[in-house]
Formats: sequence, structure tokens, C-alpha cells
Amino acid sequence: MSEPSPEGEALPGRPGTHSGPPEPVHRPALAAVLAVGVAAALTAALVGVPREGAKLPTVARYALEISLPTWHTTEPVNEIVYGTRGFDTFGETFLLLAAVVSVTTLTRRRESRRAQGGEQRAGAREQEEVDPSGEAGDAGEAEARVAEREEQPGGVDDAPATPDAIGLGVPAPEDSEAMSVVVRTAARVAAPVLAVAGGYLVAWGYSPGGGFPAGAVMVGVLLLLYAGFGHQRLAPVLRPSLLEAIELGGALAIIALGALGLVLEGSFTANFLPLARAPDTILSGGVLQAFSASELFEVSSGLALAIFALLAMEHDWSPDPDPGPDPGPHADADADADADADEDEEEQ
Amino acid sequence: MILANYLAAACVFSIGLYVVLSRRNLIKIVMGLSLMESSTYLLLVSLAYRRGSTAPVLTSPPGTTSMSALARGNVADPVLQNFCLTAIVIGVAVTGVFLSVAVRIAQHYRTLDAGEVRALRG
Repeated sequence: MSEPSPEGEALPGRPGTHSGPPEPVHRPALAAVLAVGVAAALTAALVGVPREGAKLPTVARYALEISLPTWHTTEPVNEIVYGTRGFDTFGETFLLLAAVVSVTTLTRRRESRRAQGGEQRAGAREQEEVDPSGEAGDAGEAEARVAEREEQPGGVDDAPATPDAIGLGVPAPEDSEAMSVVVRTAARVAAPVLAVAGGYLVAWGYSPGGGFPAGAVMVGVLLLLYAGFGHQRLAPVLRPSLLEAIELGGALAIIALGALGLVLEGSFTANFLPLARAPDTILSGGVLQAFSASELFEVSSGLALAIFALLAMEHDWSPDPDPGPDPGPHADADADADADADEDEEEQ
Repeated sequence: MILANYLAAACVFSIGLYVVLSRRNLIKIVMGLSLMESSTYLLLVSLAYRRGSTAPVLTSPPGTTSMSALARGNVADPVLQNFCLTAIVIGVAVTGVFLSVAVRIAQHYRTLDAGEVRALRG
């Protein structure tokens, strides 16, 4: 068991550590031998793989041949993603949902331990073993705490909303949340264009993947606006309650589409919608288009939830800033009171 | 020579593996994993390539070839392109989860060095 060194192992962004000690490595020679071995095995395998002159596999030819007569779509990749291999995409959707749930769970605020049966008391012995000094971190941590308080709404009192009024040549850092008028104007112009492009990708573009790239474009729009205007202007859109509702709505729609195919047509994700006669219209593809559009909501809100959960992640420093007296078995009531007081301090 | 692409993918994968095995900085380990993911994208798209083929899109300039002729013609493999799309989404999901774990570890242990992260702490 080793203690973190007192200087801290060069957290990124901490000033003065850029030319610090050399980067720690772990058995580089062994790693090199293993990596070279894997490279040799992969090379031997890939030399025997069919190359550019090979015939197309039967499954690929099948997908190409049925996409027009059966689905009325000119986009075989989409036909595979949402039709022939729709079950695969179905699983992938819920893998993404599981990842978003994990990120949201990992990044949320520390919960009150009042309701959890005294974890703090239970962990006190181990905590003391690992961190006998019990002190709340080093200078770098104190600095990070100050920085975090300033990031909260109302943290820096004299910060203007935009940097436009700040004269040229004023030394950094800029405290205002939004960026300059140049960036804001550019974001205002580019965001609607990008949003329309994203909608086009899922509705008329017949891009391979449909909802997946379109969802990524929509997240790009959100990030562009976030960079230009800051978090507070976007806060009404970025509420987790709203984004989670959209995300789960998309997931529910995907389940419903698959299940309806099973009930009405006898197989999961089978087409049950009327197909437009002509390809290249919004209705061609039937259930493919509906699946793809649901995927747009699922992917865009899921990625937005994960990205903004990571960006807004609050410091959950451990140990607590002012740990109370060591809560022994005889001081249960006192320890509870101390823990509650600490929680209240953190809430503010 | 699409074989060069295959071998480049093998190289990129091994570089990523070397980074994951030898670095102790958690962010660099995540970067190594992303490198390994990217090598699979390169390999899948290269495997889909056929000499002189068109993209698997059944539209062509008017009056040249019919759509059904295109479907029977020389087209890149759409199934492997589908696999690549799936791999990209899974790569994003995995990277997101790993990064949030890395941030939490940095906050709890005040270090990003995987060698220091041994003891359980509350």
C-alpha cells in the first residue's frame, strides 16, 4: 500500500508541474515484447484475409439486392443497420443507454449519507489507516476548491456577462461566461445551418447510419452554442430532466417499433408501415426511417447528457474539508450531527 | 494495395496496446484504448473496399445505370460499413465511461498514476 506523494503526482492543469519528474511507466520492455507479439500475430492473420479483389460476401449481396424491392430505399447500409441487422442496432442502442446511465451515476453529486446507514462511520477505521493525518489535502487541492467556488453562479461577483466591455490588453483570465461578440455572432449563424443539416441527414439524406451521425451533429450544435454563450444561457435546454425524458422516449420508441414488427409481421423490427412507391422520399424505407429518427433522439440526448455531466462534474474531494472528531462507537449521535453539518456546508 | 491498410491497422492496434500496458497515467491509458478502437475502424472500412467499386448507394447520375444494375454491380461491402458504425458508437460509450471514472479517481486519490491507486478509500 503506497501513499500519494505529498507533492501530488502532477494533476494536469496544476501550474508548475509541466517540467516535473519524468512520466512513470510500467514495465515498458515487457509491454513492448507483448505489443510486438500481438502485432506479429495480427500481421500473420491479416495477410491471409481476403483483399480488394475478392467477391462480395453473400450476406452483403443479399442486402444490396433486397434494399430496393423490399424496403424501397437506395441506401443499403441503412437497410442493414436498421433492417437486416436491426437487432444488433437494438442492442447497441441499449449499450449506449447503459453507458449514459453509468456516466450520469458516476458524475452526480455526493449523496447525503444520512440515509445510507452511516457509511462514514463504517469507513472511519479504513479511512484513518489510509490517511492517518486526516488533513484535507494539499495546496493544489485548496486552489482547486477556490476555483470551483468561483465557477458556481455568483462565484465571481464582478464578472460581466460577456467580455465585450473589457478593454483590449487586459490580462487574462477572462471571467465572463460567454465569448466575444465575434464568436457569438458566428455561433448564431452556424448553429441553425448545422441543425438543419442534422435534420436533413436523418430525414432526406439517407446517410449511412441515419440517426447516429445526425445525433452527433445535433450534439455539435449544442456544444457550439455552449462554447459561444456559456452554460447559464443553455441551462434551460440542458436540464437533465428534459434530456433524460427525450433519451428514454427515444429508447421506448425503438422498443415499440421492434415489438410492433414482431406482433404485426412476425419478426422483430420487420416493416409494418406502408412504403412510399418512389425511393428517395421521406416515407421510403418505412420502419427504417422511424427507427433512424428515434435513434436521433436517443443518440443526441444521450451524448449531450454524458458530455455535460462530465463538464459539470463537481469536485467530490475526499476526505471532507473539516472532518469532525473521530467518530468512535460511543459517539454515534455526535458523529451523525457532524456528518450532517459537513453535508450542509457542502450544499452551500 | 489494401494490404497496407490492414498492416497499418495492426500497427496502430499494437501501439495502442503498448500504451495501455506501459503507461501509468490514466488519461494516457484511455488514449491508448481509443487508438485501439480507431484501428478497428480502419480495418473494417479497409475490409469493405473492393477494387474499382462504388459506394453502397443505389443512386447514380440519370441515364447511366439502373438502380438494380448497381445493386448487382461492383459495390463496396455495406455489412462491414455497418460494423464500423456500430464500433464507433461503442467506442464513444466506452471512452465516456472511462473518462468519468478517471476524473473520479483523480479527485479521490489526488493522482492520475494508476500505480498509486491501490487502497480503498471512502
